[in-house]
Amino acid sequence: MVPVSYYVALSAILFTIGALGVLIRRNAIIIFMSIELMLNAGNLLFVTFARSFEQLSGQVFVFFVIAVAAAEVAVGLALIVAVFKSKQSIDIDEVSNLRG
Amino acid sequence: MFLTLLPEITLVVLAFVVLTTDLALDRQSRAFLPYLTAAGMLLAVIFTIVFALPGDKPQLIFGGMLRHDWLTFVFRLVFLFGALATVLFSAGWERVARRGEYYVLIITSTLGMMLMGASADLVMLFLAIETTSIPLYILAGFITEDDKSTESGFKYLLFGAMTTAIMLYGFSMLYGFSGSTNLYWIAGALMSGELPFISMMGTVILVMAGFAFKVSMVPFHFWAPDVYEGSPTPIAGFLSTASKAAGFAVIIRVLLTAFPLEAFGGVDWTMMMAIAAALTMSVGNLIALAQTNIKRLLAYSSVAHAGYILMGIAAASELGGLSVVFYIIVYLVTNLAAFGVVAVAERTLGSNDLEAYDGLSRRSPALALVLLISLLSLAGVPPMGGFIAKVLVFAAAVEANMVWLAVVGILNAIVGLYYYLIVLKRVYLFRSEEEDKPVPIPRPSAVALTVCLIAILVFGTIIAPWFDYSGIAAGALF
Amino acid sequence: MSTDVILFLGLAAVAIGAALGMLFSRNAVYSALFLILNFATVAVFYLLLGAPFIAMAQVTVYAGAIMVLFLFVIMLLGAEELRKRGKLGWQQPLALLLGFVLVAETAYLVFVRGDLVSQIVPAAADYGTPKDIGILLFDNYMLPFQVVAVLLLVAMIGAIVLTKDDRKIERKTSEEKA
Repeated sequence: MVPVSYYVALSAILFTIGALGVLIRRNAIIIFMSIELMLNAGNLLFVTFARSFEQLSGQVFVFFVIAVAAAEVAVGLALIVAVFKSKQSIDIDEVSNLRG
Repeated sequence: MFLTLLPEITLVVLAFVVLTTDLALDRQSRAFLPYLTAAGMLLAVIFTIVFALPGDKPQLIFGGMLRHDWLTFVFRLVFLFGALATVLFSAGWERVARRGEYYVLIITSTLGMMLMGASADLVMLFLAIETTSIPLYILAGFITEDDKSTESGFKYLLFGAMTTAIMLYGFSMLYGFSGSTNLYWIAGALMSGELPFISMMGTVILVMAGFAFKVSMVPFHFWAPDVYEGSPTPIAGFLSTASKAAGFAVIIRVLLTAFPLEAFGGVDWTMMMAIAAALTMSVGNLIALAQTNIKRLLAYSSVAHAGYILMGIAAASELGGLSVVFYIIVYLVTNLAAFGVVAVAERTLGSNDLEAYDGLSRRSPALALVLLISLLSLAGVPPMGGFIAKVLVFAAAVEANMVWLAVVGILNAIVGLYYYLIVLKRVYLFRSEEEDKPVPIPRPSAVALTVCLIAILVFGTIIAPWFDYSGIAAGALF
Repeated sequence: MSTDVILFLGLAAVAIGAALGMLFSRNAVYSALFLILNFATVAVFYLLLGAPFIAMAQVTVYAGAIMVLFLFVIMLLGAEELRKRGKLGWQQPLALLLGFVLVAETAYLVFVRGDLVSQIVPAAADYGTPKDIGILLFDNYMLPFQVVAVLLLVAMIGAIVLTKDDRKIERKTSEEKA
C-alpha cells in the first residue's frame, strides 16, 4: 500500500519542475506548458486527498480545473498567435517593448 | 433562492442579448450597443437593490457555494458601478465603441467579479477568479492591430496563469489540511487541528499569490504598468478599479474566515500583510515619481493605493474591515474618473505622455477640473473622499498597534502628493502651442465623469452614511 | 517492498522523467510530446486513486484536446527550433532556491510528516464512479457548472476575436460601403 505522502511528494516535484520551467525558459509556449504542469500537480494533490478522505469534492474540483485550463489555453494560444503575427517571435525577451 | 442570484442571471442574459443584437445590426447602428449594455447593467443594479437585499442573518446558498451577506451586496454594487462607468467611457473610444464582443467580455468579467465577492467555497472562488480574468486577458489584448495591446494581453495572461497555478496548489493543500473546500468549514478544521506553523504559513503564501496578482501587491506588481499602458484606456481603468476591488473582496473574506487568527499560535498573517502593505505603497509611490507617461504613472499610483488598502487588511479588526470597504468605494470612483479623463484626452491629444497635457486647462476647463479633483482625492487632500479613506486606514493601523505602518503610510502620502501635483502643474500652469484647439468630451463620458466627480465630493463631505454602510458590510466578516 | 509501491515508483519515475524532458528539450515539439506522456502517466495515477472519470477527462481533454492545440500552434508558427539559452539574470538564483526547496519538501514529506503516512487502501467498488460525480455536478455543484459554461463561451469568443484576420474585415466593410 502506498502512503499518501508519496503522492504528495510526487506532486510537489512536478509542481516545482513546472515552476522552474516558468523561471528559466524564455519561449512563451514552453512557459505556458510549464504552467499546465503546475496545474496538473495541483490536480494530482486534489485527487489524492479526495481518495484519502473518501470524498468526491476533490475530484469535482479537478473536473472544473480541467475545464478552466482548456479555456485558458484557448485564449492564451490565441494571444500567442496574435503576438507572433506582429513580432515574428515568441521569445518573451524579444517581445517586450513595454518597459521603462 | 434564485432571486438572490437575479443580478448575475441578468448579466448572463444581457451578454446573450448583446451578442445576438451585435449580429443583427449593421455597422452604423452598432453605436447603440454600449447604451444597451449600460441599460442592462442599470437593471442589474436595480435588481440587486430590490430583490437581492441580504437579510439580517448571512446565509450560505447553492450548496454552500455562495454566501449572501452585506459584503456581497456592497461589492456587487461596486463592481456594477465600475463596469457601468467603463462601458460609458468605451462608448466614446472609437476603436472599441462598436464591437459587440467587447461589451460581452466586460459583462462576463463583471459577472465573475460579483461571484468572487460572494464565493464561500474554493471551487466557486477558483471559477469566479478565472471568469473574471480570462475576459480581462482578452480585453487587454483586444486591439489586435496595435502591437502594444496584444503584448499587454499576452503579458497579463502569462502572469495571471502562473499565479493562478500557484494559488490552485495552495487550494489543494488547504483541502488536504482540512478535508473540505468550503471556507467556513476550513476555518473550523484549521482551528481544531494542530498543524505545524510552517504548513499554515506556506499555504497562506501560496493562496495569496493568486490574490496578490489581482490587486498588484508587491512582489506581484510587475505586470501592472505594462498592461495598463498597452491595453485600451477604459480597460486599464477597469483593471485598476473593479478588478482590484474584486481581489480585495476575496482577500478579506478568505484571510479573515478561512485563516482565523486563533488558528495561528503567536505569529500570524497580519505581520506578513503589514510588511507587504509597506513595501507595496513605497515601491508604487517611488517608481511613480519617475514616470513620464500618464497611464504608467496612474498604474504605479494604483499599486501604491493597493498598499494603503492592505494596511486595513493587516489590521484584521472591524475598523480595518470598515476602512478597507470605504477605501475601495472611494478609490473606485476616484480612479475611474482619472482614467476616464485620460481616455477622453487621448482621443484629441493622441498621446499619453505627460508633455501632451501641457495647458490642458485652457483647452478643456471641465476636463482639467475633473483631473484636479480626482488627483487631489488620490493624494488624500480634504475635502475629497480620498482624505477620509486614508484617515480610516491609518486609524485602523494605529488601533492594531502598528504605528510604524501608519508612519510609513503618511510618508508615502506626502511622496504621492508630489507627483500628483507635478501632473496638475502641467495641466494648469504650463502653456502649449495648441491651446486654441479644444478637447471635446463625448456625452456618455461626460455623464460618467460627472457622477464620479459628485461621488468623490459627497464621500468627502457627507461621511456618516457611507461610514455606517461600510461598517455593516465589514460586519459580515466577524 | 510491495508491488503497489514498485508500481508507484516506476510510474513516478516516468512522470518526473517526462516533466524534466519537457523542461530541457530544445525542440518545442518534443517538449509537448513529453508533456503528453506526463499527463498520460498522471491519468494512470488517477485510475489507481479511484478516479476513473477524472482519468478519462485527463486523457481526452488534457492530453488530447489541449496538447493537440499546443502542437498545432507550435507547428503553425514554425517555432519548433529554439534559440540557445540566453542570459537569465535574476531568475537563476531564484531557480536554484526553488530547486532546493523542492528537495527539502520532498524529504520532509516522505520522512518526517507523520500524519500523512496513512496508506491508500483499494477503494470501495462504488467510490468515484462517473455516475456519482455526475449526480454531484448537477446537484451540489450546479452553479459552478453553469459558470463554466459561460466561461467556455467567453474563451471561444476571445479566441475568435484575437485571431480573426483583420484584412478580411476591412475588405468586407469596404464591400459594404460600395
